[in-house]
Amino acid sequence: MAYQLYRNTTLGNSLQESLDELIQSQQITPQLALQVLLQFDKAINSALAQRVRNRVNFRGSLNTYRFCDNVWTFVLNDVEFREVTELIKVDKVKIVACDGKRMYFYSNTSVHRDMFTHI
Amino acid sequence: MANSANTNTVPKLYRSVIEDVINDVRDIFLDDGVDEQVLMELKTLWENKLMQSRAVDGFHSEEQQLLLQVQQQHQPQQQQHHHHHHHQQAQPQQTVPQQAQTQQVLIPASQQATAPQVIVPDSKLIQHMNASSITSAAATAATLALPAGVTPVQQILTNSGQLLQVVRAANGAQYIFQPQQSVVLQQQVIPQMQPGGVQAPVIQQVLAPLPGGISPQTGVIIQPQQILFTGNKTQVIPTTVAAATPAQAQIPAAGQQQPQAQPAQPQAPLVLQVDGTGDTSSEEDEDEEEDYDDDEEEDKEKDGAEDGQVEEEPLNSEDDVSDEEGQELFDTENVVVCQYDKIHRSKNKWKFHLKDGIMNLNGRDYIFSKAIGDAEW
Repeated sequence: MAYQLYRNTTLGNSLQESLDELIQSQQITPQLALQVLLQFDKAINSALAQRVRNRVNFRGSLNTYRFCDNVWTFVLNDVEFREVTELIKVDKVKIVACDGKRMYFYSNTSVHRDMFTHI
Repeated sequence: MANSANTNTVPKLYRSVIEDVINDVRDIFLDDGVDEQVLMELKTLWENKLMQSRAVDGFHSEEQQLLLQVQQQHQPQQQQHHHHHHHQQAQPQQTVPQQAQTQQVLIPASQQATAPQVIVPDSKLIQHMNASSITSAAATAATLALPAGVTPVQQILTNSGQLLQVVRAANGAQYIFQPQQSVVLQQQVIPQMQPGGVQAPVIQQVLAPLPGGISPQTGVIIQPQQILFTGNKTQVIPTTVAAATPAQAQIPAAGQQQPQAQPAQPQAPLVLQVDGTGDTSSEEDEDEEEDYDDDEEEDKEKDGAEDGQVEEEPLNSEDDVSDEEGQELFDTENVVVCQYDKIHRSKNKWKFHLKDGIMNLNGRDYIFSKAIGDAEW
C-alpha cells in the first residue's frame, strides 16, 4: 500500500470532492470511492518518484516541530523556497513528512486524520 | 520564462496522474457494474475542480483543449453552444456544488435495491448534540455505521442554522438525525431549488421547526413533506408521521418536546447570562452555534457557584499564549506534503532532507523530487 499522504493536496482533495459528489448522487458506492483513492495513492506515489526531477532549497525559522508515529510535522515562519527558476516567499508553512525509507501502513489514527481525509 | 519550469511540469504531471488513475479504475468500475459514463463524469469533475482551484497554471481538461482548438477554427459562439449541449448534464451538477459548499443535492426518487426495513435506534443516531457540520455523505455513513442500503440523502439547513442529515432507507422511509461536530455555516443558504430540479416524488423531510430543542436522540420517521423556502430560511411543514412501528412511540415524545423547545428557540443570542460579562467560554467558541441546552445550563451553574472567582477567570485565561486561532483562520495554509530522507538537528539548527513533495504555496502548486532546507528554532 502506498502512502495516503498525498490525499490532502489540491489534486487529492479535488478527487475526493468529486467522489463525494458522485456518492451523494448515488452514482457510486463509498466502497468504490475508496478503491479509487487507493489507486490514486499508488499513482501519485509512483509519479512523484519517477516523473519528477527537480530540486528545491528552502530556509526559514522553525516555529514548531513534532515527531509522532514516524511522521514529522514542522511549522516554519518567514520561509524562502528557492528553485533554479524562481523564488517563493511565505510567512508560514506547514511541512508534513512521512518516512521516506520505510512505508508504514496507518490505520485511522487520530493524529493523522487530516491526512487520511474522509472518503 | 522564469516560471516555465514548474508551470510546465505540474499540469503535465497532474494530467498524467489523472489519466493513470482513470484508466486503472476503469476495471473496478466495470466490475462494480458502474457505467463508463460515471467514470467520465468523475474525470470531468476532477479536472474542473483542479481548474477552479487555480493552483495550477494553464491546466486544461482535454475537452477544453478541444474546445480551444475548435474555437480557433469556427465561430466562437456557435461552437460553444454546440459544446455546451454536451456539458449540459454535467453543468447542473457542477453549479450546485459551486453555489454552496454544503452538499445539498436533490436526489431523484430512484431508490436502492431492496433492503430490509431499517429502524435506527436512538442511541446510535447522535452522540453529541453540538452544532453539526458539513460532512460528506460517506463520512456520515461511515461514522454512524449506517446499515447497508441507507445513505444520507440530503443535508438540510434548518431555521437556526442546524444541519440535519436526511437518510433514506430503501423503503422510502426517511430518517433525520444530526451528526456531531462543529458547524461553520451560519449564513449559508440552501441553493434555490430550481423548479426543474425538484423531482416530484422526492423531498425531504426535516423536523418540525425547533432545531435546537429537539432531543438529539429522537429517531423520527416521517413521510415526505414539503419544504417552503422563504427567503433565507427553510420552514418546514410538519406532517403526519409515517406509521413505521417501533419508532412510532418516540414520535409522540418528540411531539411533546417540540412545544417545550419552541419557546427556547432563537437560542444563543437570547440566552440570559447570569454570571456577568466575564465570559470565558473560549473553548466553546469554536463550537459556535447551537450548544446543547443542557450544556449551557451546566455552565451557568458552574459559573454561578464560583462567583468569587469569576473575575479571576479572565486573568487566568490570559496566561495561554496560543496563537492557534489566528492560524486556523487562514484560508490558504501553505502546506508541503512530502517524505523525509533525513532530519538533522544540532543545538537549535535544523537541517531537512526531503523528497517527493507537493507544495501549495501562496495558492499555487509546486512539486519537487528533492528539497533541502535549513531552519533555526
